[in-house]
Amino acid sequence: MSLTFLLRRGGLMVYTLAVVSLVVFGITQVLPADAAVMMLGENATPEALAAVRERLGLDQPVIVQYGRWLAGVLRGDFGFSLRTGQKVAPVMLEALGRSLLLAALSIGLMLLIAVPLGIVAAVRRGRLADLVVSLMSYVGVSLPEFVTATLAVLLLADWLQLLPATGYVPPTEDPVRGLKHLVLPVLTVSVILVAHVSRMVRSELVDVLHADYIRAARLKGLDARTVLFKHALRNALLPAITIVALDVGYLLGGIIVVEEIFALPGVGRQLIVAIQNRDLPAIQAGALIMAATYSAVNFLADIAYAALDKRIQYE
Amino acid sequence: MTGMFQIHRRSFLAGAAALGGGLVLPHAPLLAQAPKRGGTLRMSVDQAAAKLNPLLTRVNPEYLLAELLYSSLTRLDLNMAAAPDLAESWSNSADLTEWTFKLRKGVVFHDGSPCTSADVVATFEAILDPKTASPARQNIGPVEKVTAADETTVVFKLTGPYADLPVALAYTNAKIVPAAVIKQGLARLDREAVGTGPFKLVSFEPERQVVVERNPNYYDKARPYLDRVQIVVYPDPSAEVSALIAGDTDLMLNTVPTEFARLQKAAGVKALRQPSGQFCNVNMACDKPPFNDARVRQALALTIDRAAMVNFVTEGYGTPGNDTPLNKAYRFWSDLPLKKPDIAAAKKLLADAGHAKGLDLTLIASDRPGVRTQLAVATREMAKPAGFNINVQTMPHATYLDQVWKKGSFYIGFYNMQPTADAIFALLYTSNAAWNETRWNNAAFDKLVGEARTTVDEARRRQLYAEAQKLMHAEVPSMIPVFFDLLAAQRDYVQGYQLHPRGAVFRLDYVSLGDGAPKRG
Repeated sequence: MSLTFLLRRGGLMVYTLAVVSLVVFGITQVLPADAAVMMLGENATPEALAAVRERLGLDQPVIVQYGRWLAGVLRGDFGFSLRTGQKVAPVMLEALGRSLLLAALSIGLMLLIAVPLGIVAAVRRGRLADLVVSLMSYVGVSLPEFVTATLAVLLLADWLQLLPATGYVPPTEDPVRGLKHLVLPVLTVSVILVAHVSRMVRSELVDVLHADYIRAARLKGLDARTVLFKHALRNALLPAITIVALDVGYLLGGIIVVEEIFALPGVGRQLIVAIQNRDLPAIQAGALIMAATYSAVNFLADIAYAALDKRIQYE
Repeated sequence: MTGMFQIHRRSFLAGAAALGGGLVLPHAPLLAQAPKRGGTLRMSVDQAAAKLNPLLTRVNPEYLLAELLYSSLTRLDLNMAAAPDLAESWSNSADLTEWTFKLRKGVVFHDGSPCTSADVVATFEAILDPKTASPARQNIGPVEKVTAADETTVVFKLTGPYADLPVALAYTNAKIVPAAVIKQGLARLDREAVGTGPFKLVSFEPERQVVVERNPNYYDKARPYLDRVQIVVYPDPSAEVSALIAGDTDLMLNTVPTEFARLQKAAGVKALRQPSGQFCNVNMACDKPPFNDARVRQALALTIDRAAMVNFVTEGYGTPGNDTPLNKAYRFWSDLPLKKPDIAAAKKLLADAGHAKGLDLTLIASDRPGVRTQLAVATREMAKPAGFNINVQTMPHATYLDQVWKKGSFYIGFYNMQPTADAIFALLYTSNAAWNETRWNNAAFDKLVGEARTTVDEARRRQLYAEAQKLMHAEVPSMIPVFFDLLAAQRDYVQGYQLHPRGAVFRLDYVSLGDGAPKRG
């Protein structure tokens, strides 16, 4: 992996982000209603609307608005939220921190569960263990997040009263309470992810176990354990990395339902609120932060691929 | 100085009514135990208090926060009468066009600067300036000019006589802010709070948690009782209820009918219910066909089974409406016979109006709150037998505000209770109403409401408002089939909290924590 490759990838990322910002800006211009309408709601009089639009710069031509925004970003200033008047970047980054914490813990827990499950299902293919694992994955995939989350709250918080029902406490503020509040959301999200990944591990492993080089390894007299863990698993796990990288994207934007139920204000929820209120600087910052994280994670996945499979070379 | 006397008599009556005619202590909590000082109250809300600037707030969590941090000249007591806040007393000229308010002495803002008549004048000038875009501008009455007579005296000059001014000045957005801050630019109030309210801002993280602490310099030495209030956001209504039942929170601002039964059954929880003037209606453009013919509107009103509507739209936690925006919760409500469904009569009215073959209509409902859609669907089904073929169209709230609200000719409205009959009529139904959605423009109605707002005599006002309601009941400028009860819940140990029928008033400075309250960090 050469320096030019890294530079090229970096340049591509910046280009992607520029396109994202333009597209998002364009879309918000087409949406009905603007920030002034949403801010004043049912108290909007024509003169109040005009005053707010002037104050927020919404009366300027679109090109001017975009230019101003871009100039700010290049100086590292993402602007102020039209809705709350707070600086956008710190709010979004804090939300991103919460989302990443949830994502990292969920992916960690998921890997601990999904990989062994996938292995068991592949090795004992067609037998009871495989059936049970497959059934669990199907249930996990087919249950919508809000059902999984509600069931988790009902069972562990309402009935057994083991954990706080919902709500978010920053672990930096109170580590014990913070972690307790994270258990349920992490469990909920992992259940969903386990389903994807364990099925992927199973089917890949089944394929690999039928490959010639595995037969060769077996015929060479290696014991089953070495064949499985040293030779088969490594290749079978490669596609799982892609899935995990894609899941990070899903975890940032797609689990807003989980974020709402557990009152965990992640970046997905911040972005939805921003969109509902036509809060342009917040929408832009949220979209960019998510796009940047997503690109970065995919980049990391590519590097992990290359590291795990020496045959893959990036020029 | 007739006004002085009138105010005292009214608050006497209010207090006497609250205590069943016994003691005259208008603000005493109705619980036996004396309020205990200290503790942290954790209150949940269903959406973020995003706007900190009190002149620009627009949703309940924001009203709550503004009320904790700021004061108004007057505040609403539990009977919707004006009680002193920064103004100790007030009086009016005989013709009701000039009102004089005496301010408390020695009140200071959170930054230590004194709060005087100059701040009050500057605040109202900012509110009246269209550039500020404060919702208070349309809601504080016909104020023309505000001047300071001396350091503690403020004079309101009105464009016409207005008997409800002290109540109107208790409006959620009419909070007093420092003149110095207004001069520097109101944007500062988006990030910090400089008020005279019972609490001071500690931290403001709108999407998650807002914390306030007791203001040691509050003008009332006894209140507030709580040391701190944490306002936490739970966007999901079931999750919010779970948090209260689990004891993670102490009080919730409001809840939805579908969760109320669960709260009533929960141990250690007191479910709160308060009939209110909050309503949902079907707006019809009275200036355009087909609704410019009153018979079409009357026909639609006759198809509705109002008791069934209460069950369907409010799950039973509501009261039937009678096509006027007033109900029992309003002082000048008049008890008219409740309309009953009469499909034959509705068909006849529709035929008389030239729609014997039926009428095709599109009824628009915003998706927030969800009850709008419920009302639209129920209206479609109930009106069908009489020949109304209604197509219900739901849309996102943003699209609705932009394209339908105040412009459409057939859509669902949703309104909070207003403090007075005049406020709700002048907001929605008079020809010069701020939101003249129905374009009913009825001169007789305008005259009745106009006369009532300049009348001090209680009996005469009652009579005028009764006639106004009768007119609406007959002509149906908009169809109002249901009023909502306000629903909320608290833990048992929370004392002194009462749901206020207005829905936007909370009075947490009267709340204290009794035995059994958990220690919160």
